[in-house]
Amino acid sequence: MPPRSRLGAGETSTSTLSANNPSDDICPVCKSNRYLNPNLEFLINPECYHKMCSTCVDRIFTSGPASCPVPYCGKTLRKKGFHKAFFADLTVEREVDIRKRVGAIFNRRQDEFETLLDWNNYLEEVEGLIFDLVEGTRDEKVKAEEKLRAYKEGNRGEIEENRKAGLEEADIARRREKAEKEAARQRRLAAYREEEEEKADAQRTKRDVLDRLATSNEDANKIAQHAQKVILKKTSARRNLTDAQANSNGSVLDSGLTINVRGLKKKEAPIIEKPYDPFGGVDLTPSHYTLQKDYDNEWLGNAKNDIRHMAGGYSIEEYYARTMFEAFSGLGVFIEDEKAPEKTAASSTIGTAAAVQAAGGIVSLEDKMELDDVF
Amino acid sequence: MSEDERYRTSTQYRYWSYTPDSLAELRTTTNRIAADRVREAVRSAREAAVISSAETSETENGSRAVSALPEGEVDCLTVEEELKLVAFYCRQTIQLGDHLKVPTDVKATAIQYIKRFYITNSLMTYHPTSILKTALFFATKTENHYFRLTKFADAIGKTTPEDVLASEFLLTQGLRFTFDVRHPFRALEGAVMELQAMANGQISAADKPWEGREMGKRVKDAHGKAREYLKTSALLTDVYFHFTPSQIMMASLLIADPDLLTWYIGVKLPAESMREKVMMTLEDCSSILRTVEPTSQPSGDELKELKRLAKKLNKCRNPEKMDLVGLQRAKREGEDGEEEKAIKKRKLEREKSAREGDDLFGPALTKNES
Repeated sequence: MPPRSRLGAGETSTSTLSANNPSDDICPVCKSNRYLNPNLEFLINPECYHKMCSTCVDRIFTSGPASCPVPYCGKTLRKKGFHKAFFADLTVEREVDIRKRVGAIFNRRQDEFETLLDWNNYLEEVEGLIFDLVEGTRDEKVKAEEKLRAYKEGNRGEIEENRKAGLEEADIARRREKAEKEAARQRRLAAYREEEEEKADAQRTKRDVLDRLATSNEDANKIAQHAQKVILKKTSARRNLTDAQANSNGSVLDSGLTINVRGLKKKEAPIIEKPYDPFGGVDLTPSHYTLQKDYDNEWLGNAKNDIRHMAGGYSIEEYYARTMFEAFSGLGVFIEDEKAPEKTAASSTIGTAAAVQAAGGIVSLEDKMELDDVF
Repeated sequence: MSEDERYRTSTQYRYWSYTPDSLAELRTTTNRIAADRVREAVRSAREAAVISSAETSETENGSRAVSALPEGEVDCLTVEEELKLVAFYCRQTIQLGDHLKVPTDVKATAIQYIKRFYITNSLMTYHPTSILKTALFFATKTENHYFRLTKFADAIGKTTPEDVLASEFLLTQGLRFTFDVRHPFRALEGAVMELQAMANGQISAADKPWEGREMGKRVKDAHGKAREYLKTSALLTDVYFHFTPSQIMMASLLIADPDLLTWYIGVKLPAESMREKVMMTLEDCSSILRTVEPTSQPSGDELKELKRLAKKLNKCRNPEKMDLVGLQRAKREGEDGEEEKAIKKRKLEREKSAREGDDLFGPALTKNES
């Protein structure tokens, strides 16, 4: 890409331009200023980032591509390429443009990498490339461009895939946000409607009571009580209904989410995570007994029935498990065989130095004890 | 991970399980070394006394000091004698525990502490009366039965909190910093619970030899009897060192009701070879348990013998380790003294640097020694 590789020339002039920035009102090409022309508008072309007023652009480039009017630039520019600068500082504008361009090509995502280190290395490499493009010398820029091009050629398919994935993600996020908003709106509406209904209902009941009081000969207290009951019943019924609705709403929302999640599918099928196992796969199922839900034990009558035991978090199942475990823990451990001298000496389970000596040289243990004597 | 493997991770298995031979060997070595040290200590004490008497040239004073030490060759305790005394003091611990109204497992733990301590330490070095108080106090802590130290000391009588705490670290070290003792009491509850469940048909058991109610009664009787064995015989013998809590519990049931237990083991261990091996181990264990019957007390002869041994012990105690409280205090004060010195030094330095701070270029740069 020869034009891009010559960005070096542009860069020097942008810096001079940005130096002129305080006097932002004079077009560097035609020298017309804002004082004379209040709707003066500056445009730039990302080929060389030289600023000029829209009148100049119209004047020079309407009749087709022409070279940049700034002295010693000479880049061929087209009218189509001109746009207003987003940043006042054109160096920033240029860097952002470069970042966009590189980012579109180096668009790998973190989950493509096996380790965080790899991902970070990748990011660092990309950042180095961008730096070369933005700040590097001419040679470095050429090299960087070459690299960029080679990468683009080599990874065309993956780049396209990642681009699509990125679009999809954005799309999903947008859709989810929209769904959430919609759900919130619905909830608000429902709440409002419910409130209205409740009010109307209360009114109606009141009116009924008054009617009854007026027309019938029943006891007034009784009627009032009855009315109270009716209101309570209605409210609880309504609450149940809304709860049910909320639940069903939730499930609807969930199913919507799952559809979205399906869209997220990665290249490999995601591995289903197992539930967290605090023992790391150690099987603690007892081999000699099966733990029952309940045992008869006269001593435990209190613990079973007395709330004072339960309040402290005492679990009778815990007690069962522990007693049963202890009843059989070590039944098949034969100390006579296992702790025979030659075995213990080689045993790696022995922890302290004193214990090692106790198992191996007994005399040395004594010496050790002498050394460590407290007094 | 089976129940057995989980037991193998306990300190009781790793540090405090021995074969009878290795246990005897350990005790012999401990006794020999302690005896040597006693003789050595007595000799040096005598020499010191002689020198001091020579210096002061007050003959009667010197001779008194020498006469306070036993005359002639010191007659040390043998391993067997030590064991008898330890057993006696274990009984004392049970009595003390009864007096203080602590639960069984506190007493049991205390006794195990004493037994473990006297494997690598000799009675001649550290007298059991002080150790057993500390052991019992430790046991109240490890068994979660809170007992205020001052109240504890008061309740024992003729004891100050310092007496209890003097051998605190000594005992901890003797226990190799392992306070966990696995008892067979809870295991017994488990087995009995399961047997009862089998009796009333909650757990199906093939070819039950007894009716439900009859079996329930049997289990209940066996429970009581086995518990008695666990509360006394198991504590006063060495079974904790040679067998696992589960085996001790099963062995006590074997004594209480052999038929019941044989059937129970048969149900639990269908494999022939394993069952025979376990049964053999249980037989061994129960024969050890039978050596001390739950209700037995030392007979008159034994008491006489014990009195003689106590006297003998008083004669052959290591003079350097007699006064644990004093040693403890000396140690603490020694540490304090050094600390005071360090504080004084720091203060001096601070003052010096403050004085020099007034100089034009500030104080001299101090070299950090550490």
